[in-house]
This record gives sequence, C-alpha cells and structure tokens, in this order.
Amino acid sequence: MTTNTMAAGAGAYDTHQQRSRAAQWRADKWMMVGVFFMGTAVLGLIGLPFFLRGLSLQMRAQKAGFTVRPIMVTLIGYLVAVDSALNSLGWALDLIGNHTLLARVFLMAWGNMFDGGYFWHYNELWIGGASAPGEKAWVVALLPLMFSMRIAAAIAFLQMKRWGQQWLVVTCWFGVIAWAGYVTNMTIFADVRYAGVVFPVVGWWLYDIFYITPFLAIPYLHTVNREIFSD
Amino acid sequence: MKDSAKELQPGTTAAFAGMHQWLQRGLIVCLVALVLEGALTFPLLAIWYGWPTLSLQQICSEFEKIRFNDESRECKYPYPLFAPAEGAGQTTAQDTWGIQPRPLYQRVEFRGLIHRRDARLARLAAAAAAGAGERAEQPAPAPARPVAAPQPPQN
Repeated sequence: MTTNTMAAGAGAYDTHQQRSRAAQWRADKWMMVGVFFMGTAVLGLIGLPFFLRGLSLQMRAQKAGFTVRPIMVTLIGYLVAVDSALNSLGWALDLIGNHTLLARVFLMAWGNMFDGGYFWHYNELWIGGASAPGEKAWVVALLPLMFSMRIAAAIAFLQMKRWGQQWLVVTCWFGVIAWAGYVTNMTIFADVRYAGVVFPVVGWWLYDIFYITPFLAIPYLHTVNREIFSD
Repeated sequence: MKDSAKELQPGTTAAFAGMHQWLQRGLIVCLVALVLEGALTFPLLAIWYGWPTLSLQQICSEFEKIRFNDESRECKYPYPLFAPAEGAGQTTAQDTWGIQPRPLYQRVEFRGLIHRRDARLARLAAAAAAGAGERAEQPAPAPARPVAAPQPPQN
C-alpha cells in the first residue's frame, strides 16, 4: 500500500514536472521568436507582441501552479539578450561593416544626431570606423568580449544554470565598468562627441539610458536565492 | 503582507520582495523602450536627414562633404573591399586642434541636407552659367587640331 502511494506520488510529481516543462517551453518558443525580431532593432515592433504573448503564457502557467521560471529571471535573461544584440548590431557595423552604405548613412546619422564620436573623422583610421579618442578600444573590449559573453550567460541564465547566474554577475559588473569608463571618456572628449551634434548630451542620455540593464540586473543577481539555479 | 508572501516568486525572499518588484518594473520599461527605440531609429533618422527626397547614397555623400569639409567628395558605393579607408590621409577636415580637439562643422537642421544639396547645385549651375556667359563674349576658340600620329624622327 505504501509502495503504491509512493508510486502514485512519484507519478504525479513526474507528470507535474513534465507539464511544467511543456508549459515553459511553449512560453519560451513565443518569447524566443519575439526576442529574435526585437534584437534586429528595425523589426522590433513585430517581435514585441510575440514576446508579450510568451510572457503572459508563462504567468498563466505560474498561476496554474506549474513549476516555471521566475518572471524576473525571464525578464532579465531576455532583456540582456536584446540589449546585447542591439549593441552588437551597431558596433559590428562600426568594427567590420564601416564602409557599408548602412553604416555610412545610419551610423553617421545617429552620430550626427546624438554622438559625434560616430561622425567626427569617421572612416579615417586604417581600420575604419569611429576615430574618436578611445572609442575603438571600447568597441573592441565590449563587442567581442563583454556582449558575446553576456549573451552566452543570458542563455544559460534562462536555462536556470548556476554558471549562467555567475557569468551574468561577472558580465553585468563588466557592464558597470563599461558605463563608467565610456561616459568618462565621452565627457573628457566632449567637444569631439557633442560639438555640431543635433541633440547633444541630453539627447544621448535619453537615447542610451534604456541600456542600463546591468544596473537593474545586479541587485537581483546578488539578492536572489542562488539555490534555484542548478549545477 | 501575508498574501504577498504567498505570491513570492521562487528565489525572492520576503526581505527583497519590494526591491525585486521595482526592478521588474524597470526591466519592463527598458525592454519596451529599447524595442520602440530600435524600431523607430532607422525611419526617423532617414526622414530627418532627407530621405526619400535624397537617396541613401546622396545622404551618405552629404555626410562625407560635411565631415571632411570638401564639397568635391562623393560617397563611393559599393566601396572596394580592400581599399584604404575612405578618409585615410584626408587634409581638408576643419577642427580646432589641441589636446581636446573641436570640430568646426555645424549642426544639421531638420531636412537640412536637402537645402544644403540644393544650394550647392544652384551655386554650381550659377557658376556654369557665368562661365558660359564669359565664353560667349570671348572669340570662339580655334578648332582643336586633329591629333596626328607621332612622326618617326627624320634624320
């Protein structure tokens, strides 16, 4: 009798786990499609409804009592991915595609509007792209290193892996260093960055403030109960 | 508080529930803002800088003329793959040089590149017309002589 009860209990647990995984995967499929489009910038509005649909599916599954990922983990994981994708898009254009028409129209236009670092003496260095003092060093340090690592960490974080949480801590702190260094560099060379620019300083801040993801993720990453992440 | 304690997300302890909720709001705002920004940046920039009146390549050319302060510059597209950077070795850009250089180009107004281009074309047309007028007043140049094949040296 005891054995039967245990067997029935284990069966119910397995079924619950299985149905939870299915509910999470169903929600994730919607959110992944959404984030794929949102990471392209131009097609973001196509992606947002997909993402919100996935998010609502996950919240519904949570209310129904399924064991799904916490909403905060979902939001941080996907937002970090979108943030990294958008940054990578712009900086890959600068580092590799700096003589494409896309870069020489839209990156120049963006630079002329918000940040002269992407206009001033552009495509004059032998490597091409931004010539503002220090800028190329940030592009090289942040694009192939920080943002790539952060996307990888975000994927593992969404899978509730311990290393995903740890590497998100590492790369988000790297993000704090990046913000501090980048903004200081821009301030010191403010004439290059903001002279002759359409919406200088305040425009740049209004545009870029929404990339403060690390500052929102770090307090959570340090206060979440780490036991929810598996090895 | 008892009700909210029941609704705590896995991983969120009661002590940090309030903070996590504020962070969640911030995350949603950032996510939506990034999507809207990403979607609107390209079309709005294109409109500000003169598209569709100007083609993308014409916008590119205007930027190059402003950047390097050289009206003769044109945006080469497609750019040759292994050619040196388009601005390499340029000597025309205008800056106040010093430890903190300052560019001397001016802010571009809304659709300003169109006016800039129109003004240049008008200047060029006026210069061409003036040149034609001066030529009309001068005697007609002698017709060009046919180019003869080089003659072998005669001894």
